Amino acid sequence: MIFTLLAGNLTHGLLLGGVYGLATMGLSLIFGVINVVNVGHGQFIMVGAFVTLTMFTALGLSPVIALPAALIIGMALGFFFFYTVIRRLIKAPELTSLLATFAMGILLEEIAKLIFGADFRGYNWGLGKITLPITTIPMSKVYAFIGSVVIAFFLYFWFSKTRLGTAIRSVMEDSEGARVCGVNVGWIYALSFAIGIGLTVMSGVLLTMFIPVGINPYMGGVYTLKAFVIAVLGGLTSPYGAFFAGLIFGLIENGAYTLFAMIPGVAPFPLTVSLAFWMLFFLLLVKPTGLLGK
Amino acid sequence: MKKTISKYYPLIPVFAAYLIMFIIGFFMPGMWQMVALLAFYCALGQSWNIFMGMTGYVDFGYVTFIALGTYGMSLGITYFAQYEWLGIGIIGIGIIFAMFLASLSALLEAFIALRLRGAYFAIACIGINEGLRYFIEGAKIWGGSEGLIYFGALVQALGRGTVNQLTTFWADFSVFIIAALAAFLNMHYMRSKIGYALTAVREDEDAAKVMGINANKYKTIAFLTSGWLGAGVGAMAWGLKLGYVYPGDVFVIHYTIECIVVVLLGGAGTLMGPVIGGLIYGLSKYWLAVIMPGFQLLIFAPIIIIIIVIAPEGVVGLLKSKLKGTKLEMFIE
Amino acid sequence: MALLKLENVTKRFGGLVAVDKISLEIKEGELIGIVGPNGSGKTTLFNVISGVYTPEEGKVIFDGKDITRLPAYKRAPLGLGRTFQIPRPFSSASVRENVAIGAMFGTLADKVSVDDSLDIADRYIDMVGLEAHRDKASGTLTPVEKKLMEIARALAMRPKLLLMDEAMAGMNPKDIDDMVKFIKRIKEEEKIAIVSMVEHIMRAVAGLAERVMVMNQGMKLVDAKTEEALSDPRVIEVYLGHPPDESKWRSEVWKEVKKKDE
Repeated sequence: MIFTLLAGNLTHGLLLGGVYGLATMGLSLIFGVINVVNVGHGQFIMVGAFVTLTMFTALGLSPVIALPAALIIGMALGFFFFYTVIRRLIKAPELTSLLATFAMGILLEEIAKLIFGADFRGYNWGLGKITLPITTIPMSKVYAFIGSVVIAFFLYFWFSKTRLGTAIRSVMEDSEGARVCGVNVGWIYALSFAIGIGLTVMSGVLLTMFIPVGINPYMGGVYTLKAFVIAVLGGLTSPYGAFFAGLIFGLIENGAYTLFAMIPGVAPFPLTVSLAFWMLFFLLLVKPTGLLGK
Repeated sequence: MKKTISKYYPLIPVFAAYLIMFIIGFFMPGMWQMVALLAFYCALGQSWNIFMGMTGYVDFGYVTFIALGTYGMSLGITYFAQYEWLGIGIIGIGIIFAMFLASLSALLEAFIALRLRGAYFAIACIGINEGLRYFIEGAKIWGGSEGLIYFGALVQALGRGTVNQLTTFWADFSVFIIAALAAFLNMHYMRSKIGYALTAVREDEDAAKVMGINANKYKTIAFLTSGWLGAGVGAMAWGLKLGYVYPGDVFVIHYTIECIVVVLLGGAGTLMGPVIGGLIYGLSKYWLAVIMPGFQLLIFAPIIIIIIVIAPEGVVGLLKSKLKGTKLEMFIE
Repeated sequence: MALLKLENVTKRFGGLVAVDKISLEIKEGELIGIVGPNGSGKTTLFNVISGVYTPEEGKVIFDGKDITRLPAYKRAPLGLGRTFQIPRPFSSASVRENVAIGAMFGTLADKVSVDDSLDIADRYIDMVGLEAHRDKASGTLTPVEKKLMEIARALAMRPKLLLMDEAMAGMNPKDIDDMVKFIKRIKEEEKIAIVSMVEHIMRAVAGLAERVMVMNQGMKLVDAKTEEALSDPRVIEVYLGHPPDESKWRSEVWKEVKKKDE
């Protein structure tokens, strides 16, 4: 009985991990190329969540359609913020870009609050469930996982096989060297930032496929923390490491939830969220540069 | 002797500002609330300045100190109000708890600072905030997510009259004291070996160590000081004044942003900066709350961005460069 | 008694042995040079002595104390000072403040106040000739001025031993000569031992150091009086890549050395 429960939760965790992983890939990409940590990361996930919500409830469109919409919106936001803010801060001390992205996140929260109000919203995709030998999973979650894996794979091929992808990788390695080879580094910076944000917003869509409730302007903060833990786990500069670290994180998170739910007198959900912090702390003790990164 | 005293001249405008604020609030009817709010932001800004301005580390989870301070006071009152013989002493106990909790957090951050810098450190501090908040809720300690309500217990222990005085005057007055203390400590540190050591560590930690500077010791001193001051503000302005506490109300990252806005507006690492920033921000918030409640952050978020991009040194920083080489220079820090 | 004693110090980075069983003794007030081509391990050795690295084997004994595992910041108050090859000023602080920091945390750490330190700083700033720049932000100085400030800062620590890492790198011949005179003067006036480390500017060592240790590939090649060390065929081979033609090299090396004495 416990075994089925555990297996179910772990599967759940693995699927969610895929979404977490994709979300963190955006963070790692931006940091790897431009050396900017997007502290407003979680808020962009929130944007994706609201895009999905609006398209579903107002336009009756399935979240699958919301994905490309999210990508476009995300990239638009990315380019916008890059050219107005980020570009000027690349050469500035780290502190300024931290504060600026932090403020960007807050701005997004307040705009969302303005448009949608602070209430918690949700939607019901109602696709039914799929039954596996050990557990039953809602179809929407399976779709979410498939979505994240497909996008991750697509990114992998794009980075390794296309000219543009290779250009981005070259700038990640050595921007000066890339410049000397004729790469338009400024444009790559902008593009990478836009793609990173686009990925993040898309992961917000996938996240709601997984957890279609609790959508509110302030939901992002917790995901920034989780993304950071995952990034440190997988190496802050390695997008691939981030994906796999996301899977691991999802597993640990859900395993812990199962465990906590069995302890009387505690509230398992908040305790699991707090777990992210303890994991971070443990990681810092053991290997601050990430388990898979340099 | 003269040399030593003149070092402290920059405190004069700061104390003058606080004195004027106090006089306005005390003697003009209806102004106390607003002045208290301004003092709150000045105090927070001044305290955060010690952390960031001196060490160069950004603590995005600074609100943890304020929250722990609030909890310290809350726990003190909740558990000790029953001992009526303690009288006003329970406030003292609350302060001690507040300082103790803040110390734990400061030491934790100092430990993290050993291993992380810059962005990593900043986000790790958010982690502390979120981690603590959800741990309290999850492990259901200290009242869990519902928190503690101890206003009644306080009234029972001290009598309605005293409590009234405390919550309407003394709590806010303490914030003034903390603001003045923070300014003083800021100045004192800057002029002492601590300040020099931290400047060196901030610029080049490895070279500083070779020069004989124990980097960790000085960072810890700055963290502890800043943490105690922040906790003091929390204990007084929230814990004592409001009479209740719950995690979702106090472990809120927005207060860190407000600290950042205050300090950036006025100029990070300067003495007068947080005062000016506190005044500007506090007044704006008060005014906006009347006109368009709930919109302050919407307006301030882009303002922070604009300041960062265009004038990172803030008002006082700009003033400093304008006044360089003049007699007035010694009053501006 | 030796002021600084290295016993079989070995420092490895993974499979690379950067410093290989180096033993060395420096007495109080001595002025010695450490010489060696690029990659010979000189900087790593300095880093071990000043505490940036801990050696895998061997001991570092300073003034009778075993400091092998002592954290870097505890070595300065004992009297161990150091300048860096590429100067590391505390850029936002003024020259005066920079040098004062040296005084505040060096051998006088518990005895001087901030004001005392600023006074001490003034003395050393005058000594290196930077009075005009006293209140300038140190980040704005020229490279040579930064080097001079580094030295002033290290001297303000009142060290017993000063490690000078490529003090003359990037200088023209006239500046080098001035620096040589200056270092001699420091040694006399401050009564400190100095270790001057160079890669190839032999002027910095010939005519300055009483004794020279030559390193190559982490090992000590030669440790002898300056003239002997610099004319040792093994040393020349290390720099030229092949053994010297005896009659020819003798005159080339000695021409350099003789120039110094004129």
